[in-house]
Amino acid sequence: MSLKSLDPRVTRLNLPDGEVPAMEPKPELDQFETYEAFHQKKEGAAHTYVGPVHAPNEDVAFLFAKEQYSRRFPCVGLWIARTENIQVTPYAGDGENVYDMLRIEEPAKRSEQAEPYEIFHLKKRGKAHTHAGRVVATSYLEALQEAKNQLGEKGPIVNVWVVKSKDVLQSAEDDKDMWTTVPEKKYREAIAYKVMDKITKFKEEQKNLTAQ
Amino acid sequence: MNEQAIKDLLYKLADDQLILGHRNSEWTGFGPILEEDIAFSSMAQDKIGHSLAFYTLLQELGEADPDTVAFTRNANQFHNSQLVELPNGEYDFSLIRHFLYDNAEIIRFEMLSQSSYEPIAKVATKLKGEVKYHVLHANTWIKNLGTSTEEAILRLQSSLNEALPYALGMFENSKYEQELMDAGVYGGEEAVKAEWLKRIQAVLEKTELKMPDLESIEPRFRGRYGEHTEHLQPLLDEMAEVFKIDPTAEW
Repeated sequence: MSLKSLDPRVTRLNLPDGEVPAMEPKPELDQFETYEAFHQKKEGAAHTYVGPVHAPNEDVAFLFAKEQYSRRFPCVGLWIARTENIQVTPYAGDGENVYDMLRIEEPAKRSEQAEPYEIFHLKKRGKAHTHAGRVVATSYLEALQEAKNQLGEKGPIVNVWVVKSKDVLQSAEDDKDMWTTVPEKKYREAIAYKVMDKITKFKEEQKNLTAQ
Repeated sequence: MNEQAIKDLLYKLADDQLILGHRNSEWTGFGPILEEDIAFSSMAQDKIGHSLAFYTLLQELGEADPDTVAFTRNANQFHNSQLVELPNGEYDFSLIRHFLYDNAEIIRFEMLSQSSYEPIAKVATKLKGEVKYHVLHANTWIKNLGTSTEEAILRLQSSLNEALPYALGMFENSKYEQELMDAGVYGGEEAVKAEWLKRIQAVLEKTELKMPDLESIEPRFRGRYGEHTEHLQPLLDEMAEVFKIDPTAEW
C-alpha cells in the first residue's frame, strides 16, 4: 500500500503507507555557511541589514537573498557578505556610543597595502545595521579607528560591523530591473487575500445551522 | 498586420510560461533546501504572472478571458513546446530544463521589447528584469553544480542529453514566421536559436558538461501545433481541478 494524500504530488511519490522507515542520522555540521544580506530600499538610500542566508558560496547566497529578502519589499540593490568576514565590535547600551568605549590600539601587524572597508552602524538595539560609509585602512582595527574619526561623531551607535569592500558582493547597476515589478506582486502579501468576509459569512452559516 | 499571426505568437509564449510555471510550482515544499525551494517557487509565480500578461493581450484581441483560456482547453489546443510539459524528474532535470528554457526566454523578451507591436513591446520591457533573474539563477547553479562532484556532473550531463531534443523543439517555426519578421513584430525562431546556442555554450564551457553533437539530434517538434506528449493532459486536469469544480471560486 502506498500513501494516498490530498496533495497529488505526495501520492505520486509512492511512499509506503503506515510505518515510515527511520531516517539516517544526519552528520553534525552538514549546513552551508552563512552569508549576510543588505538591501537598498530606494535609490540613494543606505544599504541596510536584512538577514542571513545559508549558501555554498556568495553567488548562490545572492540568488537566495534576492528571493528571500527582496520578494516583498521595494528594493533597488543588494549586498552580500560572508558572515565570517564581518568583524563585530562589542555592544554598547542604547543611547551610548560604542566608539567612546573602544580602546583601539595600534595593530601589531598591518599589511602594506591600504584597502577600502565598509562600515555598518547599529543606532539602536533591535534596529538593523545600516551602511555608514567607506574608509581606507590597512587592517580591520585601523578601519575602525578611521570610522571613529570620520563617521563616529553623530549620536548613539551601539554596535559596528567592519568588512573589507572586496568581501562584499554588490548587485550590478545594470541589474536594477530585476526588482522593478516587485511592488506589483500583491499576491505575495497576506493582505491581498480578502478572506475575512468569507470566514465571517461561513461562521454565521454554521451558527445558523447549529441553531436550527 | 495579420491578427492571427500575433495571436499565434502570443499563444505560444503564454502557453510555454503557464505550463512551465505549473511544473516548477510542483517543487514547492519539495525543494532540495529551503532557500532553493523559495527561489524556485517564486520563479514559478513569475512565469504564471507572465502567462497572465500575454493571455490578457490575447483577450484584448478578442480571445476568451485568461482563466477560460488557461483552464478549459484540452492538450491539443495548447501551443507550448513539449520541453515544458515533461515531468519534473529529479532536481537535475528541472534545473537543466530551467537553464535551457530561460536562456531562450530572455532572448525572446529582449527581441519582443523592440517589437513593432506596441502592446507586446510594453509587456516584454516591463517583465524582462524578472527573466533576467531567472537566467542568473539557472546559470549560477549550472556553473556551480557542473564543476562540483562526479555525481552532480553525471546527473546534469544525462539530463542535458535527455532534454536537448525537446529544447530544440522550442524553436519550431510557426506558419506566420516570415510575416512576423517582415512586420518587425518578432525576430524569428532561427535568430533566437542561434543566439541561444551561443549563450548556453558560453555557460557550459565553464563546466565539466559537454554539449552533445546537435547535428545528430532530432528536435521534438509539433508542440506548437498542438501535438503533445502523454504528460500534458494529466497536468492540465490537475491544474484545472478547482476551476472545474467551481468556475466562480475566488481566493
